[in-house]
Amino acid sequence: MSVVHRVRLPAGASPMVEVGNHVEPADVLATRRAPRGGVSLPVALPLRRSAAEAARCLVARPGEHLDAGAILAEDDRWRQVRVPEACILLGYDLDDGSAMIAPLSGSEPVLGHVRGEVVSLEPDAIELRVTGALVTGVGGSGDAVHGELRVAVHEPGAELPASAIDVGATGRIIVGGSRASAETLTRARAMGVAGIVLGGVLDKELRDFEATQLRRREIGGVRGDFAVILLEGFGKVGFDPGLFAWFRVHEGRMASLFGEAARLYVYDAGPPPLRRVLPLPGDRVIAHRRPHAGQGGELVRVLDRLHAFASGVVGRAALVRFEDGHTAIVPLANLEATEPLTGD
Amino acid sequence: MSATRVSTTSVRAEMALLLDVGSAWAKAGVIGRVRGRWRLVAHAAQPTAWGSTALRRALVDQLAASADPRLADHLDDLIADANRIECHTARRPARLAIVAVSREMSGSAARRGAEAAGWHVVEAVTLDDGRTLADRLGTLQSAEVDAWLIAGGFDGSRSPRALEAAALVAAARRSGGGPVVWAGSSALADEVIGLFEPGAASAVANPRPDARHEEPAALRARLAELLRDAVIPEDETHLSSVSFPRAVGALASATGLRILGVDLGARAATRVLAEPDGTVASRVHARGGLAGTVLAPGAAARVARLAGDAGDEAAVADLLQTLRAWPSTLPQTPEELSATQAAARVQLAGILEESVAGPLDLVIGAGRTIGAAPHPAQAARMLLDGVRPIGVTQLAVDAAAVLGPLGSLPDDEIREGLSLLGDDLLVPLGTAVVCRGGEAGRVAMRVTVHRSGWPSQAPIEVRAGQLQVVPLPRGQEAEITIEPLGGATLGGPRRSPRIQANVTGGAVGLMLDARGVPIALPKRGDDRREMLAGWRDTLMREAAQGSERVA
Repeated sequence: MSVVHRVRLPAGASPMVEVGNHVEPADVLATRRAPRGGVSLPVALPLRRSAAEAARCLVARPGEHLDAGAILAEDDRWRQVRVPEACILLGYDLDDGSAMIAPLSGSEPVLGHVRGEVVSLEPDAIELRVTGALVTGVGGSGDAVHGELRVAVHEPGAELPASAIDVGATGRIIVGGSRASAETLTRARAMGVAGIVLGGVLDKELRDFEATQLRRREIGGVRGDFAVILLEGFGKVGFDPGLFAWFRVHEGRMASLFGEAARLYVYDAGPPPLRRVLPLPGDRVIAHRRPHAGQGGELVRVLDRLHAFASGVVGRAALVRFEDGHTAIVPLANLEATEPLTGD
Repeated sequence: MSATRVSTTSVRAEMALLLDVGSAWAKAGVIGRVRGRWRLVAHAAQPTAWGSTALRRALVDQLAASADPRLADHLDDLIADANRIECHTARRPARLAIVAVSREMSGSAARRGAEAAGWHVVEAVTLDDGRTLADRLGTLQSAEVDAWLIAGGFDGSRSPRALEAAALVAAARRSGGGPVVWAGSSALADEVIGLFEPGAASAVANPRPDARHEEPAALRARLAELLRDAVIPEDETHLSSVSFPRAVGALASATGLRILGVDLGARAATRVLAEPDGTVASRVHARGGLAGTVLAPGAAARVARLAGDAGDEAAVADLLQTLRAWPSTLPQTPEELSATQAAARVQLAGILEESVAGPLDLVIGAGRTIGAAPHPAQAARMLLDGVRPIGVTQLAVDAAAVLGPLGSLPDDEIREGLSLLGDDLLVPLGTAVVCRGGEAGRVAMRVTVHRSGWPSQAPIEVRAGQLQVVPLPRGQEAEITIEPLGGATLGGPRRSPRIQANVTGGAVGLMLDARGVPIALPKRGDDRREMLAGWRDTLMREAAQGSERVA
């Protein structure tokens, strides 16, 4: 199976690939010259004019990209002010007669972080066909990373302990379980883990982790990219057992993880268990909200009449036999059908 | 209103289908002629993703129980062929990048204006946000947006910082990369517009003309126009954000009431203020829906505090994320429902932060969380706590979600549609009397209720911080005399020590609310929970006729 992945290009980027090219996650798809910090460039002084008069001599507009040596201002006596390097003109200060420019850095790479074939080039994006499976999540954090998949828990409902993060996890995308504490996430990042795939995580712990990483980044203490994706929900939420089994089958495969976008590509993989709304009797289902969030089971029957739940909310309901053996009446809106486990 | 006439071999049925397709939930109502009157004969709501077949099936199941047996085999066809009166939410949110000089002044004014016009702000850069110039430019160069908004500089000034903000956009935006709105110093308008290709940029009146004033109306109007022209080129009358205000406006015009309507959706919220002359002022808050609660700073702590019985802050934070991730799911436990409704109160208070001036006659709550609350008292509490309507105000809910679809009709048919549905249009909750001020523990208002045919009753004393409910069923009217005491006020100018008002009943009754504006809660957790539970029980408890409930 294949899916199309879109890589957004920042304004001013130059593509380095052509349609039909095959690219790897670390390949450069385009280059860009990113602006560095702003610097002041005297204009009035070299023109030997007042600041106000020099303003009328500007030949570039704020926001304009200028090549190295391009004329920034010139007067009727052929006196010129040129920019010393490629830059963006940001403004002109009428008080001191200087221009604010943002010099552009050397060429910087734009990586796709996916393996695939370039299928289209647009001014603002490159589209790649990825041979593999796409798993989308409900939330995530962090940048784009890639690495081999490694399943680090034995049960879909197990928590990912900090002790599961060892040197063998370095550079890999770890498939955890129902939760990872902020301590586990911090250790994973410190150990050079590329990313973590979880059924759920406590929102507070994820935010705490993000806050510490932001602070460390500000003081220059964090290097390398790291991403987290949540597949089922927030809180302690286990994996859909079918999806967990699918990850076990694909352990060792290369994958690309986009944390913020909550997308995970697993290369050369068959399709993950499909999800479908409005499940039917006999379907394997996964519940999405407390008190059954993340629990899988079989939908025994859909109740004929509307049901009043403990909250007082009235809605269509289904009787579900969960995999731990207990049965419960659950709002049909809180259930999704999933494909059966392999071998069922 | 027009209706489809469908012939069967032996009977004919006249019906129409009212459909409100939201981003998370689809609501449908069937109206048909029953003994010569148009009535709402079936209503169903389901996750939008379930599709139209399941929705029709649910309506057929309901109708089968009550419809003429000769129609039983034709109900599916009748609904499929019925005249569809439909509204829906926008297919995708419109994305906007804001670049402003200061976060607190121009930036916040621009953001408020943009969100109140229905835009989703995906990037906000200010020159005092602590980022480096390179970071700001890099962020903007990577932004995927439909339009750009630049703000900064007071009117008459030629702020170089404001020009720098405009230059950032000019440097980051591709040619043809969406319209640009300049909402800064009027003195810089021509200069800023000149930074972009012809026709790309336009200027509106500065929402922050000086340090003391904020005048966002022109910006909101321009952004709303841009939203319609550039991003949502479909027939706008079928957009819920347009049709709901049209229906509320027609209702205000028909009844002569001043009405505030609030439609709290899964993603966005709409507030409408309609005057008796039919004038309507509406705003769409792109992040005002339940899913947007999690984006508000400190929301989890606030919701946990307001709910009282929904668990700790961490549990509530997970729930708010769940509302964002799975907006079409239902709260199954009382704790989940309590947190969801507290989130609704927080969001309502947020979209009404810029308060409505003057008294209101009627507040209408719409959207699934309010309209389909399990108990009318819960809907009343969301409206009372979220809106805090000072004075004497009727409360009602659009339980069948019919206002949106009716508002999508042509102008001359909306009013007809509203009147045809009559009592089925809204569910009245009763009348609220809300005062502010008063001394803690002292009587804030003394209310005497006169009901025709009932013996005179002693005045009811409501202490500051108290909420009382007097039973007054739907359809009953009463005359009340309110005597504000101890510095309490009902909002209007104080011409008389006593205020007379006519009130109507509803599913909850007459609500006498002296809890203040905003509601003051005890700092101690146990005290707060006890107080919140007391208010909840007061509203929920089945009242014995003639006795009031006190908390």
